[in-house]
Amino acid sequence: MRVRERAVATPAAIALREKDLGIWQQVGWAAYWEQAELTGHALLALGIEPGDRVAIHSENRREWLYADVGTVAVRAATVGLYPTNPVAEVGYLLRHCGAKVLIAEDQEQVDKALAIDDLPDLTHIVYVEPRGIRNAYDDPRLLAWPDFLALGKQHRAEHPDAVTQRMDAAAAEDVVTLVYTSGTTGPPKGAMLTAANVDFAIQELVERGGFTAPPPSSRDSVLSYLPLCHVAERIFSCWFGAGAGVCVHFAESIETVAANLHEVQPTVLFGVPRIWEKIAAGVQIRIESADPVKRRIGGFWLRRAEWIGAVLTANGGRHTPASRAVYAVGWLFCYRALKDRVGLRKVRYAACGAAPVAPEVLRFFMGLGLPMHEVYGMTENTAVATANRPGRVKVGTVGEAHAGVEVRIDEITGEIQTRHAGTFAGYWRDPAATAAVLGPDGWLRTGDVGEWVDGTHLRITDRMKDIIITAGGKNISPSEIENALKASPYIKEVLVVGDRRRFIAALIGIEPDTVGHWAQQRRLPYSTYADLSAKAEVITLVQGIVDEVNTRLATVEQVRSFRLLPKLLDHEDGELTATQKLKRNAVMRSFDELIESMYAGGAR
Amino acid sequence: MSRPLLYLSYQQDMALLNTPAKRGWTLALAVGAVSLPFVLTDDLLVVLATACVAAIGAIGLNIVTGYGGQVSLGHAFFLVIGAYTAAAISGDPDSTRLIGFGITSLPIWLLAAGLVAGLAGLIIAPLAARLRGLYLAVVTLGLVFIGEHLFKHWRELTGGVGVGRPAAVPELFGFQFAVDGAMFTKAQKLYLLMLVLLVIFGVLARNLVRSRTGRALAAVRDRDLAAEVIGVDVTRYKMIAFAVSSFYAGVAGALLYVMIGFVEPGSFNLGMSVQYIAMILIGGVGTISGSVLGALFITLLPRITRELPAVLPFISTSSGSGGITVFQVETILYGLLIIGFLIFEPRGLFGIWIRFRTYWKSWPFSH
Repeated sequence: MRVRERAVATPAAIALREKDLGIWQQVGWAAYWEQAELTGHALLALGIEPGDRVAIHSENRREWLYADVGTVAVRAATVGLYPTNPVAEVGYLLRHCGAKVLIAEDQEQVDKALAIDDLPDLTHIVYVEPRGIRNAYDDPRLLAWPDFLALGKQHRAEHPDAVTQRMDAAAAEDVVTLVYTSGTTGPPKGAMLTAANVDFAIQELVERGGFTAPPPSSRDSVLSYLPLCHVAERIFSCWFGAGAGVCVHFAESIETVAANLHEVQPTVLFGVPRIWEKIAAGVQIRIESADPVKRRIGGFWLRRAEWIGAVLTANGGRHTPASRAVYAVGWLFCYRALKDRVGLRKVRYAACGAAPVAPEVLRFFMGLGLPMHEVYGMTENTAVATANRPGRVKVGTVGEAHAGVEVRIDEITGEIQTRHAGTFAGYWRDPAATAAVLGPDGWLRTGDVGEWVDGTHLRITDRMKDIIITAGGKNISPSEIENALKASPYIKEVLVVGDRRRFIAALIGIEPDTVGHWAQQRRLPYSTYADLSAKAEVITLVQGIVDEVNTRLATVEQVRSFRLLPKLLDHEDGELTATQKLKRNAVMRSFDELIESMYAGGAR
Repeated sequence: MSRPLLYLSYQQDMALLNTPAKRGWTLALAVGAVSLPFVLTDDLLVVLATACVAAIGAIGLNIVTGYGGQVSLGHAFFLVIGAYTAAAISGDPDSTRLIGFGITSLPIWLLAAGLVAGLAGLIIAPLAARLRGLYLAVVTLGLVFIGEHLFKHWRELTGGVGVGRPAAVPELFGFQFAVDGAMFTKAQKLYLLMLVLLVIFGVLARNLVRSRTGRALAAVRDRDLAAEVIGVDVTRYKMIAFAVSSFYAGVAGALLYVMIGFVEPGSFNLGMSVQYIAMILIGGVGTISGSVLGALFITLLPRITRELPAVLPFISTSSGSGGITVFQVETILYGLLIIGFLIFEPRGLFGIWIRFRTYWKSWPFSH
């Protein structure tokens, strides 16, 4: 593994930083490898054979990476579980992957695993945080992290070369990790990524600078805050580190990301659209709630930023002399301080991916001087497909194909297909699903519909299954309408419906923070989310946004009716995936009555 | 790595100058302060030097009142002890009228002044352990009158009312500060000396208040019962507060009359105690920089009021000509300033600075 090489080359350089009791504890590469090797030995001591699975159920922390690297070093495969996964899903995943060892973070995750009865393969549960478990639980499978490492130490003393032997025997077609897709439809499927896939991804994205220019180096730092079991975060935290020596900082939790960003000031930042939308909305709200002088100045420069963003968009991400001059003055008065407050001041490469994003959001950040790039990839092709390259940005597209990647669009269905060495080895224990997406000629069917823009840049229209055909026979892509609506800071979730219906309608979930703030300013009393959603004033507010978006849409695409969701959608209730994507079918099922009510009265 | 908020160790978190901006501005301030003697006239420098000394005294009062929460009106008592200890140690040993030991070395009489005053503080401290708030204020008030009476009648030490005695002689390793030299005038030398001493004592005090002792004092101030419950030895920390505060007062007292060269026992009265209270209230209670600001402000105030008659003709310079005199204006201003600050800006000048800094720090947001 590359971690070992790096430990030998630059043992003292900082690999990981994690905040502990207010202080960022640093781990050098040598210590990183030492811990990972110990973990590997410990796994050997627990009887892990090549090809076995080790599940990790934890927030992002150092032990996640130790366990991951250690597992791969002994030729087993890592399975990441989302910390928010409910018990039923944990049960399904553990049973499906057949993990022998589960590394669980704390009492919460251990409880989830213990609540499941029939796990014939699971022999050990290693817990990292002993609080509430030690001396309270007596399940024979439980093992504390220090004891686990002690096992590793003992094993290393007895067989000092065991891990090295395993590593030397490693083959390119070894499965190193099972990444379970979040599954917007049906149960999650485990994509098998092999050592060759990961190697290709590292080469393509890190060494050849597939994302950034110049390529990432040990001077860069990233903040790890998205779940590590997601392939995108794995690339940025785990493989950027191993491949280029990027220093990884772990956020304390998803709630403290804003504060941690401010402290860490990373140079490379990847975010899902939801995160970027939230930051953008936060900036706007905070400027609006500032005192009059700051509000005027901030508002003025935000409007200039919009203009700069528009200019940059028109020029492929490059400045014109006029926009550069305006930006320089704005930097002095507003942008520098603003980016510093948000924690984006040192960002030299920002990426957005994993879900469709509204161009307005990208333009907003480009206007603030953030080099913003939309990228595209999926678990099944190790997240390597296309990316906007610095200097050749086309907002609204997902960019150009990477150097070693073939991309084609199916002429009949418009489906995007990719072929390269990073294409996965298949779904775990699901050959039927594998055959459905992976052709014998090596082309991977992504399930996304797209088109070429100017022959070089790829634009994604929508997921194939999501395309709506109205009763009038028109093909409509819901995600475009949804994203146009979600660009408003007041709207969090949108679900556009209208398949085989007379017109398009939408279920809209408001953003509680911003709408709550808006209501407070207007002295509207409210108690709960449901109460807020039911307010006539809030409905008028959303109606205004919908009307404004409608003016930009073709007649058939216009949203004729909408209802506000009475509750926040949640992963635990099965309405969102662990990556906060909407599960369309689940939501449509739970709010069936609301949808019917929109069509009952006829169009306005 | 310029990521000031990425704390890798507690030392970094606790550092006084933890951001590049702070380091830069501190350097600029230091350069500015050192270059002042070459810009200003000598009489202004004397006022500034006095302000530096007053700042040391104000820091002392702030430690016991601002951090420790023990109201003390007896600051003048400790100042006078320091002043006469220093004067006596450095005094002429051959004089028949006055006590004198002839040790003119500055570090020795300065330390001695501080230690004797600190000892006096330690003796007083048990009172503070038993009394609280208003009662403590009244007891310390009594100290001032005892001190005034004692020193007025101890002629061998003080020279008596209206006569006085020469102040301590500032000399360091044979170098005389209180006479005009070839390169520097007396005022320039004294100003630089006082500035250096202020920086030394200021940094020491800043270090004290951010240490375990400082946190314990703050706990005692906020609620002594609660502090005791969490394991702070209240009596011990009150004694420490009084000892350190008195030490600072003694040092300030020793230096205060060096500029004029003469000490007179009548000047250490209740008015002086109130002046120091005014310094820390206007400067900022519970802050070191606030004490310095307040001392500067209060010491420079007479300079400003003296210019008033030129602008406002109804204010006269002498008491005989009727109307209102500058001295009365000064006293009224003290009162108005204390009332104004307590009502409108309880955190003092330092609070204004904090607000100003937060405004720009949070730019372009409000918080």
